[in-house]
Amino acid sequence: MTTRVEFLERIRERVRRAPQRFQASPTRRPAHPAAEVETIRRELAERWPETLEAFRREFAAVAGVLHHVASVDMVPAVVSRIAQEHRARELVSWHPGALGVDLGSALATRGLDVHQMPGTERIGAAEAERLRALVARAALGLTGVDLAIAETGTLVLVSGPGRPRSTSLLPPCHIAVFDRTALVESLRQVGVFLEAWHGDGRPPAGGASINFITGPSRTADIELTLTRGVHGPKEVHAIFVEQPIGG
Amino acid sequence: MSDAELATPFRQRAGGAMKDAFLQEALTIATTKFIGLRREAFAGFPEGEALRDQARAIKEATLQQLDHHLETLIGNVERLGGHVHYAATQAEARSIIVDIARRSGARMAVKSKSMATEEIHLNEALEAAGVTPVETDLGEYIIQLAHERPSHIIAPAIHKTKGQVAELFTRALGRPAEPDPEALTRIARGELREKFLQADLGITGANFAVADTGTVVLVTNEGNGRMVTSLPRVHVAVMGVEKVVPSFSDLMVFLAILAKSATGQKLSVYTSMVQGPRRAGELEGPEEFHLVLLDGGRIAQIDGPLREALSCLRCGACLNVCPVYRQIGGHAYGYTYPGPIGILLTAMLEGTPAVRDLAHASSLCGACADACPVRIDIPRMLIELRREIDDQKIAPWTERIAFKLLARMLQSPRLYRISAKAGRLLQRPFTRDGGIRRLPLVFGEWTRTRDLPPVAARTFQERWASDRDLRA
Repeated sequence: MTTRVEFLERIRERVRRAPQRFQASPTRRPAHPAAEVETIRRELAERWPETLEAFRREFAAVAGVLHHVASVDMVPAVVSRIAQEHRARELVSWHPGALGVDLGSALATRGLDVHQMPGTERIGAAEAERLRALVARAALGLTGVDLAIAETGTLVLVSGPGRPRSTSLLPPCHIAVFDRTALVESLRQVGVFLEAWHGDGRPPAGGASINFITGPSRTADIELTLTRGVHGPKEVHAIFVEQPIGG
Repeated sequence: MSDAELATPFRQRAGGAMKDAFLQEALTIATTKFIGLRREAFAGFPEGEALRDQARAIKEATLQQLDHHLETLIGNVERLGGHVHYAATQAEARSIIVDIARRSGARMAVKSKSMATEEIHLNEALEAAGVTPVETDLGEYIIQLAHERPSHIIAPAIHKTKGQVAELFTRALGRPAEPDPEALTRIARGELREKFLQADLGITGANFAVADTGTVVLVTNEGNGRMVTSLPRVHVAVMGVEKVVPSFSDLMVFLAILAKSATGQKLSVYTSMVQGPRRAGELEGPEEFHLVLLDGGRIAQIDGPLREALSCLRCGACLNVCPVYRQIGGHAYGYTYPGPIGILLTAMLEGTPAVRDLAHASSLCGACADACPVRIDIPRMLIELRREIDDQKIAPWTERIAFKLLARMLQSPRLYRISAKAGRLLQRPFTRDGGIRRLPLVFGEWTRTRDLPPVAARTFQERWASDRDLRA
């Protein structure tokens, strides 16, 4: 078996002999990403309507459906309308703490079977099994959004306690709720956020998986015919809440 | 393609492909569509050209300190609770993964699309160890059921019709299937959903790995990459050492051009970033995470003649524009990586003798270099490979002697004049309709796949000597 030392030494030897034209990546890295994130946020706060408009365009281009509501208490009505279209009742949701709001009872009164995922509490193996079966069966998955990228119509979701990866993956319909604080313009800006989350800034959650979701799951593997919902959701809805969710 | 087919010479495989009318049509439709989508994507993205240059510069700079970046990556993956393994050869990579599978007691492994695992022929090794590998990318699933190999880097089953897929599903899955892509996709979703939920082991490649955070990045459209990295108890990622990038800022540059070059999307549907096993308080994600770093011939090229090919992103853009690939498709190349870049990668991973014939499967038109998102000069390296094949005496002796004589003749004006005159006489019996279609003896090797233009009735030198108007 090759050891780490042998492996790296082999590389080092080759690197020494290779022509040295560049020493470092030409990419500009933010020196203080957390501070730069704050600057980006301040700038974006002034022009969020334009950013939202750009997001709407790109999200539609990747077959996402955007809904716009004034305040968070209007979200359950939209969710229940989507559920009716699907003739579905079973909904799994991120934990209220991760969502920023508890929509459980409001959704339940509209006739939905709501299963909120556990937060930080420890879960036994049997309970984890039960939850997985639940998510695998549910028609709708309700999540929050950490960043919404206007350039590409992308939703960024960070995993962590109360925010399981499967909520946005197993149910055939994914519904994501976000507000202006998640909106960014470009992939370049996202790079600064990612640097900050792993550097001098605070990550949105403590999980081991970050997912960029750009529309519903798709394939063109059979005769290049575009087909949606091959493994992941067939539909992705994003509900924009004009009044920031956190208050 | 089966291994038996691989044993046939390249010329026969290519010839067979060119007689396959369906394959010809499928290739034309697919490659033409991909070319259009890519062109549109970059037309609406003015900063794309600068980003391509930047992406290439990042790759070059990273290679120059590859030891350093890999050390950083390894340190971070381990800090996050992952295990890192080192595979010098394909065989070593196989045995590392089979070992992990055995220790985890896995009976079935779900796989996300990965060229690296194709390259190391992992599925055969897993099967031999009693672990059933299940390909979950729809295209890969189809060709696994058909016991074939991928024919395009990003569209592995483009050589199959929906009718063929329906027949295959009916036979292999024991349930009637209609030849409708939507219905077939639904069947695959159902079949594979079960496997995702049952499998103990998930195996993926890596499109990138971000050194300074220990992040493995997977790009998929179907969501199978997310399934494989979220549901099974153990996740193994296999990556070529050249896939590392220093930071997230660097990664963004690649993400901005990768999908545009491959399918014309601004981003693929899912870009998944995996940072070790699940963390405290997480309901899901693997309990064990393994990263297998693969050499397999790459390390020797850090200062080798194929160094540039280490920048390849596996987007497939060079396949779509290649006049040879468009005629013969991926299987005829006979190895894991088809197309112009595939020839270079095959030379890198399997050794130069493997590409003795393939190195000539290019018209050197340069379309591949133009399409490449990181501007790899593929034609330059193909020419160098041809030279090496000649220098190392890998080419047949007849070919080597023929080219030596040609070189001698071209260097001497006198010999050149005499040869032209002799050629004019000797070609007479073989010239039909202004072209030489077939030569006798060993010379027939040349005309087997190409026409030879005959020596002109009057050569340029003869006209130059007598025609005044030529010099006016």
